[in-house]
Amino acid sequence: MEVLKYSYLDEKIDEVKEQGFLNYRTSELPTWCPGCGYFGITHAMVQACDALGLKNEEICVASGIGCAGRYPIFMKAYGFHTVHGRSIPIASGIKLARQDLTVFAVGGDGDILGIGGGHLPHIARKNIDITLFLFDNSIYGLTKGQTSPTTPLSQVTNSHSQGNPDTPLRPVFLALAHGASFVARCYAGDVEGMKNIFTQAISHKGFSFLHIVSPCVTFDKVNITWKRLRENFRAVPSVHDPSDYRAAIQMAEDPRPIFGLFYHDPSRQSYQENLRGKRSPENSKSSER
Amino acid sequence: MPKNDHYVIIGNGPAGNKAADRLRDRDKEARVTIISDEAFSFYYRYKLPDFIAGRISEDALKVRPYTIYKEKNIRLRLGQRVERIDPDEKVLYLKHMKKVGYTKLILATGGSPRVPPSFIRFMEYFTFMTNYNDAVRIRPELQKAKDIIVIGGDLISLRFIKMLTGMKKNIYFILTRNCFWPIELTSRMAGKISSSLEKKGIKALVDTPIAAITRQKNKLLLETGDGQKIRADMICSFLGLKPNIDFIVGSGIDTEKGILVNEYLQTNYADIYACGECAQIYNPKLKDYWISIGSENAALQGETAALSLLGAHKVIKPVPKNLLNVGGVSVNTSWWKQF
Amino acid sequence: MTNVDIVIEICGSAGEGTISAGEILSRFMSSQGFEIMSFDSYPSEIRGFGKCVAHSRISNRKILSPGKYADILIALKDAHSISQLPSLRETGIVIYDNKPPNYLEEDKSIAGWIEPGMISYGVPLLELAQKAAGNSRGRNMVAIGALAALFQIDDEAMKASIRSRYAKKKQIVIDSNLNSFQEGFEWSKKNITKIDPYTFRNVRLKKSNKSRAIINGNQAVAQAALDSGLHLYAGYPITPATKIMEILSKELPKKGGIMIQTEDEIAAIGNVVGAGFAGKRAMTATSGPGFSLMTELANLAVMAEVPAVIINSQRGGPSTGVPTKTEQSDLNIALSGGSGDSPRIVIAPTTVEECYLGVSLALYLAEKYQTLVVVLLDFFLSNSIRNIPMPEPINKKWLKGNIAPTKTELKDYKRFKNTESGISPRAIPGTPGGMFVTTGLEHSEQGKPQYDRETHHQMTRKRFRKIQNAINEAPKPQWRGPKKDISVGVIAWGSTAGSAQEAVIKAQKEGIKAALMSSMLISPLPADSFRKFSKACQKILVPELNYSGQFANYLAPYLNRPIERLNMVTGLPMSAEDILDKIREMAN
Repeated sequence: MEVLKYSYLDEKIDEVKEQGFLNYRTSELPTWCPGCGYFGITHAMVQACDALGLKNEEICVASGIGCAGRYPIFMKAYGFHTVHGRSIPIASGIKLARQDLTVFAVGGDGDILGIGGGHLPHIARKNIDITLFLFDNSIYGLTKGQTSPTTPLSQVTNSHSQGNPDTPLRPVFLALAHGASFVARCYAGDVEGMKNIFTQAISHKGFSFLHIVSPCVTFDKVNITWKRLRENFRAVPSVHDPSDYRAAIQMAEDPRPIFGLFYHDPSRQSYQENLRGKRSPENSKSSER
Repeated sequence: MPKNDHYVIIGNGPAGNKAADRLRDRDKEARVTIISDEAFSFYYRYKLPDFIAGRISEDALKVRPYTIYKEKNIRLRLGQRVERIDPDEKVLYLKHMKKVGYTKLILATGGSPRVPPSFIRFMEYFTFMTNYNDAVRIRPELQKAKDIIVIGGDLISLRFIKMLTGMKKNIYFILTRNCFWPIELTSRMAGKISSSLEKKGIKALVDTPIAAITRQKNKLLLETGDGQKIRADMICSFLGLKPNIDFIVGSGIDTEKGILVNEYLQTNYADIYACGECAQIYNPKLKDYWISIGSENAALQGETAALSLLGAHKVIKPVPKNLLNVGGVSVNTSWWKQF
Repeated sequence: MTNVDIVIEICGSAGEGTISAGEILSRFMSSQGFEIMSFDSYPSEIRGFGKCVAHSRISNRKILSPGKYADILIALKDAHSISQLPSLRETGIVIYDNKPPNYLEEDKSIAGWIEPGMISYGVPLLELAQKAAGNSRGRNMVAIGALAALFQIDDEAMKASIRSRYAKKKQIVIDSNLNSFQEGFEWSKKNITKIDPYTFRNVRLKKSNKSRAIINGNQAVAQAALDSGLHLYAGYPITPATKIMEILSKELPKKGGIMIQTEDEIAAIGNVVGAGFAGKRAMTATSGPGFSLMTELANLAVMAEVPAVIINSQRGGPSTGVPTKTEQSDLNIALSGGSGDSPRIVIAPTTVEECYLGVSLALYLAEKYQTLVVVLLDFFLSNSIRNIPMPEPINKKWLKGNIAPTKTELKDYKRFKNTESGISPRAIPGTPGGMFVTTGLEHSEQGKPQYDRETHHQMTRKRFRKIQNAINEAPKPQWRGPKKDISVGVIAWGSTAGSAQEAVIKAQKEGIKAALMSSMLISPLPADSFRKFSKACQKILVPELNYSGQFANYLAPYLNRPIERLNMVTGLPMSAEDILDKIREMAN
């Protein structure tokens, strides 16, 4: 029995190595807690890079501060672990300097929606070609369990022992409202689904907003748990047309966790295309709104 | 700008300046302003001929430095012409479209070139030299000129001639006795003057009427009543001064030849005074008006006007004795009736 | 032949052509061979919004400071000009409109405020403009015409200058400007008796100024950036730095670069740091409030060893402060703003020429030393217009600063290798095998977070050590005047250095042994040069436009001696007269 088990593992390792996505990982071990949803996200991200055949040296990852902020340390690429809340401007700077690079911005809910929340509307309207991975676990994990901008109302946290008095933000709704040209919500437990959407997002010429819902197994035992997410998981209806902005908005208003591609406007010009002078409002659907 | 009493003096000559000084001495609080249409600061008018001849600099013309006005806190509005006075509203209207309000006003506007009726038709050929601006304008012209006719005259004309002889010019002096200003010369006086001038190489024509003046090329041609023809580059007219009252006439302030004031130098408006060469002053003993000349008279009147304005009710007296040297003839005068 | 040193101020409302009249005057004077220093200001505290002043100092000799008092004030608008009178010389000249359409109350008219000793010339500006062109727009040109007549400026040459200024405009615009000029010229010639001594006639002039560029500090900054291979400019509008952004928005795309207007200063410096990380030259320009916002990311550039250039055109502070006034009070924040021990390079140009030099140097040093470089300008320097010799081409060596890792180094690549110089070879994204992660956390030579005491100590030393060599790359500090037995040694920085130099020259003429030391490079400080200077001086004076004596405080530990200070926060450039007074006082 034991021998059989080992050989199964060896086989699996060989299988993974052949798949190649391990090439996108560093030897550094992630500092995340066992059972954290971020492992799954990482897994999907490297798989997407592999699927797209991106060269390591042509990938730049800029991150903020927080559990998600550590991500570049674990990925074999040019990584920039910056300061709290500023992954978006740094990633934008990289992309503006080097059109040839694939640029990711990575941050948690506190990073992207809290301290760095001011950058979101502007990256959305500028449509600079970067992919934003918002790792949303609805809690400040690295500082040990304080309320974040997406913590549900009345949830008890280490900063709100009487329950969170603040109404949470709705990230997908915000991104749509700000005019992001690619908006999706992913579930950290669904690696295949994430890989699929990440691949599309990275290929999108413009700003892609990926709201990735993940549980924090250490500091949230009540609300965003694996169990509750699995039970409530709903996929975007197969009939949904991602180019239908109003339908996307309607879905985003739904309080239930709906996962999948909400909105995609492939015709909208990126910031650099606009800079190059092909500026006409007709080119962009979003401006008709 | 503090908003209490505002004493305004129109005129930046000896009368105006003396008045301003005295007002400031006696009233430390009030605003004191001198307005003058001449841009140049208070200067010695009698030194203008020397200035034109290039013998003295601009600075030597100036009576006192501008810092005096700063120290005394007297505001100068130079190069600004008063166009109209509204004595009821107590407002001055300036040519450059500004209104200046006053509580008390002293008119010390001085005089401007006088042209007797018999000369009016020749005015366009005349060069006048009564103020600094004239002097600056004449200066280069005079340097070039060779033959100069001086129509006399007045006291300053004699200084002018003295200056010209130093410059080695050909000078013709036309002296019309009854046009000498401010006195009428007797034939004895006129003769004495002309002979003293002739000694200096000046051709003097006494009581010779002018028949015509015409322009011929670059020269002016003057024909006398007795058929003489004189060619000249310039004809300078020195026929005395008349009070500057053009802008006052019609304002309600009583004028005749000058601004009519009582022995306290007060006009028919209680808060308006006049002094110096622009004023026609009532003399209760003469029961008539008189007009003064000379900076000493002007300064004295300026002081009197200031004191009266402040409530002292000081009666003006002419400077008692003033010997004027008219081409070697001493004339004892300081005030006169006719002109 | 005489020498000329005249300051002319034109004061009016925005939109009255005040600034363009000043510009025409400056350009003309420059073309005639005069040296000029002009400064346009828009004081914002004035009642009746929109006052602006075009200040020009014109001389046939070298100009070092803008001049404290104006000799000639052209009042295009009485209400604004009255408040400008205190900066007119005691015996200065006022040219004003003596025929406005309506009667003005006496306190509303500049003629009522003219001090004894000043000379006023009234010119019917409006009336002549209407006569010339049928509208009031040409008042500025009428005034310039009057100026030409009064001060014996060559009117034909001036008309040619006006023609070329409006060359791109419609003929009617050219004509109406020329006609207005002509009206003003003729009227003044005929009607005004000049009673002042100022003249531009018979001046000994340089042969030609054709190879001179007329630019202000901001333009010099932008030009330097363009000439030095700037790829990205990210910025947020803020007085007085905005013009840099406006110029680059036009010019940078022509060179394949990008100007991005960001949502705030944080994003601007974020973009700059990102682009620097990606291997391109990038910079931002701001003023104190924006710089305050930038400090966290500026600190990241220091820690993560990423090139970043920030131009800080200082204005009065703290907080929003006095936006349109000049001050030198951001030295402290430039030297050490942000958290922790955060060494960086600070450059403070002293002249418009040095704005050009300083920015190209900054972009080079940032790239080579992989760190933050702050360039300190101020409101005055940003807006000070000079006709300077065309900038020398940028030192070729400065165009490429990055030291890339060799193939051998890439085999076991240590991005933050603690080398002797402190500079670690830097791989640019896209370089195969050079992948690394950099972080604002303290990190190992590989770039991985590592907080042990040895690492933090060694890495902090490395970051301080590596910038020291910049002293040998920057232009040497300037020592002007005697080399020994100096009774008063002035140490000045930034835009104050020009006034200080003028003061020192005047002091020398008075027999005082004075000398000047100034350095464009502020951090790292060329301390040896300053110590040497200090040793040759009996007394040391540091004049600067801040209250607390920031530069004097910075110097104190290096010089280790008492320092006399002259601190002014009036919002105006420090004048040579102010410094001279202090030198005299100290020399006695």
